Amino acid sequence: MQTSIKGTYQLAGRSESHPASAIIFETGQVIIQHLNGESIMDVWPDDYQFSDVIPGLAVDLVLADGALFVPHDKRYRWPQLTSSNLLAEWLESHWLVVLSSVLVVPLFLWSMVNYVLPGAAHAAVAFLPNSIAESMGEQTLYILDKTQFDPSELDAKQQQHVSQLWHRITTQLELPDDKYQLHFRKFDRGANAMALPDGSIIVTDDIVTLMKDDPDALLSVLLHEVGHVEHQHSLKMVAQTTATTMLFAMMFGDIDGAGELILGAGTGLLQTAFSRDMEREADEFSHQNLPAFNISPAAFADAMTLLANSHSLSDDEESDSDGSDKDTRENEQKIKSKIMHWLQYLSSHPETQERINTARKKGEENNELL
Amino acid sequence: MENGLSSDRTDFVKFSGKSGEYFKLWFVNMFLSIITLGIYSAWAKVRDTQYMYGHTSVDDNSFRFLATPMQILKGRIVAVIIFIIYMALSKMSPALSIVMALAFLVAFPWLIIQGIKFSMRMTAYRNVRFSFEGTYGGVIVHFILLPILGAITLYLAMPWVVQQIQQYMHNNITYGGKHFEQKSSAGQYYIAVLFSVGIALIGGAIIAALGGTAIAAADGGLSLGLVFVGLASFALFGIVNAVYQSIIFNHLMATLEIENVVSFDAQMKTLPFAILVLTNILLIVVTFGLAIPVVKIRTSRYIASVTQVTIKPGINELINTVEGSDSALGEEAAGLFDSDLSII
Repeated sequence: MQTSIKGTYQLAGRSESHPASAIIFETGQVIIQHLNGESIMDVWPDDYQFSDVIPGLAVDLVLADGALFVPHDKRYRWPQLTSSNLLAEWLESHWLVVLSSVLVVPLFLWSMVNYVLPGAAHAAVAFLPNSIAESMGEQTLYILDKTQFDPSELDAKQQQHVSQLWHRITTQLELPDDKYQLHFRKFDRGANAMALPDGSIIVTDDIVTLMKDDPDALLSVLLHEVGHVEHQHSLKMVAQTTATTMLFAMMFGDIDGAGELILGAGTGLLQTAFSRDMEREADEFSHQNLPAFNISPAAFADAMTLLANSHSLSDDEESDSDGSDKDTRENEQKIKSKIMHWLQYLSSHPETQERINTARKKGEENNELL
Repeated sequence: MENGLSSDRTDFVKFSGKSGEYFKLWFVNMFLSIITLGIYSAWAKVRDTQYMYGHTSVDDNSFRFLATPMQILKGRIVAVIIFIIYMALSKMSPALSIVMALAFLVAFPWLIIQGIKFSMRMTAYRNVRFSFEGTYGGVIVHFILLPILGAITLYLAMPWVVQQIQQYMHNNITYGGKHFEQKSSAGQYYIAVLFSVGIALIGGAIIAALGGTAIAAADGGLSLGLVFVGLASFALFGIVNAVYQSIIFNHLMATLEIENVVSFDAQMKTLPFAILVLTNILLIVVTFGLAIPVVKIRTSRYIASVTQVTIKPGINELINTVEGSDSALGEEAAGLFDSDLSII
């Protein structure tokens, strides 16, 4: 009992090839011969292997020296192939395996990105030595000082007013003085406050001026920043984005072109989503701790309102200069708010209105408790 | 009867991969990689590449990918360790990240060479392997110095720089010990840039004018106007990209050859290619990425269908000059650090 198949005999290590046929015996012996019947090679199972079995492709007989016999019939599967040779191809074409793969792969990605990696990142951050947060903070402040900040132009009285607020916070929350430090800086891009991983809190001149009549609002903002530090948000962000970038690179490293563009956008969106979650967490920290200062969480809503107004005011000043009339101004506002609604998915912060509403609600709940 | 040929033979590249078949292979391999905690990914990569290569044929001979999963696995493990250290250190300390960036700059040319060398040497056609003979110095000149030159000339020299880079890459690929020769001209790159920038400007102006009117027209038309601007910009991006790509691809193919062994030609057309790229993006977005394997097949099929190869008599006398025991580290690291370059 023997079978004969047609194919190409490809010489070892050179481009030369000949049309040939292979005669396969039940014993595993294979004779490769020219089409005129002249024998080229007579081999036994020890002398040959098979190339991987890939869907839609011929399986090559690979001889010990590297010469090949390539069957013409792409569907031909050699009788000597073992089930382990054929396993991968079987898996890749079996509908049940394919179906579970199509379900499991996205599910896996989703759960990794939303639960596993954040969980692991948060757990890992606890083990990081303090020195890392310290050097991160110092270097970030150094870079910001060189590129974005100027020395504060507030007078001593204003600074002292904020320092007193700050002192109330550190005393009440029993924050270590050597870790938590308040810094004043001038910043061109408006009222803002930020927290660095080592516990440095920076307030810009504009936010101090903006909230000079509303110390409760400023205190709520400072608490928000303390929340970032207490929750180790910077480190978690680093760990989380490292882990997700890693995962995406490993799973889709081979993809380029349009796919890569979209993957990049996807990781970017994820990062802003992490960031929004962290902002909410810091807001909550502020809401929870404000009552200890006899201040309603609504103070945070006031702070957000003040900040939002100050920023949209500076936008308006710019658009005023092109002298547009009122109707188009209103129209522009409408367009803007529609765009803003969609842009929130691109933003590192939750929508301001949402934050104000949450704070108001907390304020009311707090009143009921009292 | 010998498979020799006394005269030239010209035919299109044939790509026989099927979307459905590859979709299954891709997803099952991804699944197996996940449940084996990433270990199977080395096997997956081999099978994936073998599928794509094996289904690409020229003159009835298909390409073969000869790397073994163990080669890939070793390279992948080392690359992942380096990548984790790099990411973690550079993000934790901005100062250290400068040091890391410098170290990366030193390692970068080496990574590029090793990466391309590996993927070339693992590629065979008619039992003869490709290789890459770029040198450290050459890569520094072409991937670091020339781009800097391009930047300081306010990008005026950039088309020339890109041409030099691609020419360098292709000239250093060998097949059976014979060098590919790329005789491209910088002029074509400038033409490609002028055309695509011109179309981008004109198209952008038209969209701005039409979109502005549509938005200003009425309250109700507001969102419609926004949708129009979005879609039109998307289409414009596709066209601009396709104009550049098709001019460059056709030019590169027309000027690439191995003397007396092979020469190329291509007739990529702007509109079909733009439609391909745009529909690919839509497919990926709409299916949340499930269509990635389909997109890969569509792209390969299209590129093959516009690329012609002329096989010359000299191809029958080639001798393989390359062993296959290289390390996959460079290639794997390049993949992770996203510095891998697609050639041709």
